[in-house]
Amino acid sequence: MEELKKLIQKAKDDFSKVSELSDLDHVKSKYLGKQGPLTDAMRGLSSLPSEEKPIVGSLINDIKKSIEKALGDRKSEIQAQLMNDQLKNENIDVTLDGKKQNKGTLHPISITINKIESIFNSIGFSSTDGPEIEDDYHNFTALNIPESHPARAMHDTFYLNKEYVLRTHTSSVQIRYMENNPPPLRIISPGRVYRVDSDATHSPMFHQIEGLWIDKKISFANLKWVTQSFLQKFFENDNLKIRFRPSFFPFTEPSAEIDMEWNGGWLEIGGCGMVHPNVLSQAGVDHDLFQGFAFGLGVERLAMLKYGINDLRPFFNHDIRFLNQFKV
Amino acid sequence: MQFSKKWLNEFVDKDLNEIKLSDMLTQGGLEVEEIEDLSLISDLVVVGEIIEIQKHPNADRLNVCQVNVGQKESLQIVCGAPNARVGIKVACARVGAKLDKFEIKKAKLRGVDSSGMLCSAKEINISNESEGILELNKNSKVGETIKNCLSLDDQIYHLSITPNRPDCLSMRGIAKEIAAMSNFNYIKNKKKEINEINTLDIKINVKNNISCPLYCLRKIQKVDNKKEVPGWLKERLERGGIEPINPVVDIVNYMMLEHGQPMHAFDFDKINGDIQVRNANKGEKLLLLNNQEITFFGDELVIADDNNILALAGIMGGLESSITADTTNLLLESAFFSPLSLAGVARKHSLNTESSHRFERGVDFQQTINTLNETTSNIIDLCGGDPSKLIEETNKFPERNKITLRTEKVRQILGLHIDNNEINKTLTALKFNFEECEGGFNVTPPSYRFDINIEEDLVEEVIRIYGFDKIEALPPLTNTVMLGSDSSNRSIYDIKITMSSLGYNEIVSYSFIEEGVEKEFHENNKLIKLDNPIASQMNVMRSKLWGSHVEALLYNINRGQTQIRLFEIASTYMKSNSGYAEKQVLSGVLYGSSQPEQWGIKAKKIDFYDVKGDLETLSEGELKFKKKDAPGSLHPGKSACILKNDKPVGWVGQLHPKWKQKFGIQEDVFLFEIDLEPLRKKVINEFNIPSKLLPIRKDISVVVDKNISVDDMVQAVKKANINHLKEITAFDVYEGENIEKDKKSIAFLILMQDTYKTLEEEQVNNIVMNALKVLQQQFKANLR
Repeated sequence: MEELKKLIQKAKDDFSKVSELSDLDHVKSKYLGKQGPLTDAMRGLSSLPSEEKPIVGSLINDIKKSIEKALGDRKSEIQAQLMNDQLKNENIDVTLDGKKQNKGTLHPISITINKIESIFNSIGFSSTDGPEIEDDYHNFTALNIPESHPARAMHDTFYLNKEYVLRTHTSSVQIRYMENNPPPLRIISPGRVYRVDSDATHSPMFHQIEGLWIDKKISFANLKWVTQSFLQKFFENDNLKIRFRPSFFPFTEPSAEIDMEWNGGWLEIGGCGMVHPNVLSQAGVDHDLFQGFAFGLGVERLAMLKYGINDLRPFFNHDIRFLNQFKV
Repeated sequence: MQFSKKWLNEFVDKDLNEIKLSDMLTQGGLEVEEIEDLSLISDLVVVGEIIEIQKHPNADRLNVCQVNVGQKESLQIVCGAPNARVGIKVACARVGAKLDKFEIKKAKLRGVDSSGMLCSAKEINISNESEGILELNKNSKVGETIKNCLSLDDQIYHLSITPNRPDCLSMRGIAKEIAAMSNFNYIKNKKKEINEINTLDIKINVKNNISCPLYCLRKIQKVDNKKEVPGWLKERLERGGIEPINPVVDIVNYMMLEHGQPMHAFDFDKINGDIQVRNANKGEKLLLLNNQEITFFGDELVIADDNNILALAGIMGGLESSITADTTNLLLESAFFSPLSLAGVARKHSLNTESSHRFERGVDFQQTINTLNETTSNIIDLCGGDPSKLIEETNKFPERNKITLRTEKVRQILGLHIDNNEINKTLTALKFNFEECEGGFNVTPPSYRFDINIEEDLVEEVIRIYGFDKIEALPPLTNTVMLGSDSSNRSIYDIKITMSSLGYNEIVSYSFIEEGVEKEFHENNKLIKLDNPIASQMNVMRSKLWGSHVEALLYNINRGQTQIRLFEIASTYMKSNSGYAEKQVLSGVLYGSSQPEQWGIKAKKIDFYDVKGDLETLSEGELKFKKKDAPGSLHPGKSACILKNDKPVGWVGQLHPKWKQKFGIQEDVFLFEIDLEPLRKKVINEFNIPSKLLPIRKDISVVVDKNISVDDMVQAVKKANINHLKEITAFDVYEGENIEKDKKSIAFLILMQDTYKTLEEEQVNNIVMNALKVLQQQFKANLR
């Protein structure tokens, strides 16, 4: 019996000498296997007197459990050691570049237009558009600019022929929208416009955003609030100052230029005014019942101010090094 | 409109320096574009007299001048101007004088000392004349500053006058505006008495009296048009942007600047018989003052005598009847031509004169005669002469009707609580004729205001003077609206975001392109040409974006980029039955590496399937690709027609090698273009709850003819509706070793699943067999 008890210590000693999990299994069978001393002892039980049988049996069981525990402990030890060794070897340079996917950009004009649209959408302006090749009627005549009117000289117009032009402003969309939709109306319309002009601050093609709000009591005071609030939200500066300066557009009366305070001076941002009664009636709106305002803003100008760029040309020369700077 | 501020000051009763003139004008709607401050000239630029000249010993073209600047010792100055000569008085910049770009220093020029510079007019900013040095008046005082000598304590104002305010195309008009906006008073001009010595024995015959409501003439005999024009008059003309020519013309122009009334002086001795104001006949010709011969379209208003046309009325006179320095007998014309009669006429003949600019917009018909009288008097004062009686023909002037201005309307339009008293004040300041009436005012606009016709025009006048800044910004009190959303169309912005996340840079390119590119590269012969393109390489509207995109590509290749993906959403333009049509497309170009160059990933060039994959991702698999006859810009074997719901919506493919060669590009380029509208259309899905069971995967490899379309095979299997077959996809395509020459091997993966129970092995085998059967029967596929 004493021999059996010594087995526990012996097994522990043997286990501790093993460092591989596969060897451990081998040693395990030496003690707990079918040919092992404990199995022999169990077999020998039958030859014992019946009163000793339970005592010796339980003793053998206890020894077996102790050996199994020692085996389990050693197994955990070895596994922990293996994990440690593995971790010691697994060490990477985390400063090496990450694996990159392709990533592109949106054009600053797109980002700007989206920003403008979101702000106006938030107070119920819906977006609409119109053709860029426009007939003379919608670009001029319906906007109270009859043929040969000197105001036509204000627009350096691209002509396709006598009847068609490249639209010189997004104001033509006002007319098209009013022709097809009864008031009240609240729309904005961004898009490409064209003038025969080209230098650092003028491009023959540029973008405008037109706004129109027609209802029964829409006043100049409202125009002031809408444009001022818009510019404050767009430039994220609630102290931004704007001023209105009398001007002339044949399709609005009164008309004004919107100037914004910038670096201690005033910068022209766009034109606006109360829609001229002739324009309303031309588009089929009863001007005794309805009134409202229209405005046109230069998208490039807003983008240039927002991004601090003072040359228009990079917007249109497609240099990836320029474009890559504009994150959505 | 440009003018001298000092001159302007003569028309108001206080010093203009007391007010912020520029701000006031701009805030009144007369935008100040530029102010040239002449007074900035250095006091070290003085009047000098050249007293001695010698040739420079070492330079043929230079002279060594001794210049008296009113001090004990004269200055030695080296000068290259050809007009330098002894006795003339010149502008001499002394050592230390700061000019525009540099400071004058003591210097040695080719070995000779020089202590100053003799200046051209341009160098001291008084005109653009840079030829030679400026010669001053003989009476100029040596040593006096140029600032004093040339009255340079002045500023030149440049205003941008909007087309509705022709009354401000004159000094007096601007002065009246200043008076309306300040506490300054406008100074009226004094009427001059003219001692009319002779009669004028010709007749005026106005045949088109609607176009010409007033026409006046006066003859002045024995005029000396060779007199020296006084310096102050020349200065004012030059500062007003008009070149001095001869005394009579200068005075006529001077009067136009002051009063806004354009006039014309004929040489009386070159006129035959009576004067007619009539419409030109088609085909008649006239040689104009500027040596341009025009042929009349047939409805222009002209001035003619018994034989010839003398002038294009209100625009420009003829050369034949014009006055010269030798003219002694003048016929002075002052008239009112209606704006409508001149509208667009000058432009039709490619002319734009000071006169046409004013008449087209409207000239004050109540000043026509007064200005003629004042001009007569000024000519006689300077050049002498005997004036005749004035003859005139008057017809019906434009009407100035009473307009009712309702206070309530002012408030309603402006959203401002303004009272009658304030409105009264602004109308008074503007010197309008008006009377109060029930609920407002009855206003008669003055003769010089052509822009006031309806009540709204008066509202603008009121607020212009009262001040936009007095209007409080108020949020509208109106019904709120809620904008809906459209789930059947993707937003364009969403498509742009997806494209950018796939690695594309968005560009914005011009809508116009070179004719040759449109014809050959876009294969479009129905050109939409611009009448007046900004450049010849931008003369037609594009029907595709590819031409512009290849240009953008080249720009970036030339700047060393090796991985390029660009896209744009824009309109394309075409002719249609009813005129023109526009179609928005998504278009793009790819070039170079398929992925950013980096460690651990093998560099790979972009191929067709990269582009196709991008488009499939973009459209969430809703686009299909079919071989068809490709456009000439694309490689016929490496391009596909893009379909959505079986309808062609665009093209994708490799740039045709002949174009690649033509553009001089080294590597393959890929292009795509898809119509935006169908791309945006969303299919509303039905949604399923996924099975809890694992799908079973089986792979099969088959060998087929090389030219068989993999997608056709996939679609055929799907079409067979094999029970429990969920998905079949090609995951490998192989050609080469162990495969016959014109065959290819395709590996498919097949996913199978029953919703309720795990499939039995026999079922699985059946499904695979059925799929294989389809491939064998329809495509002669052999199991590998």
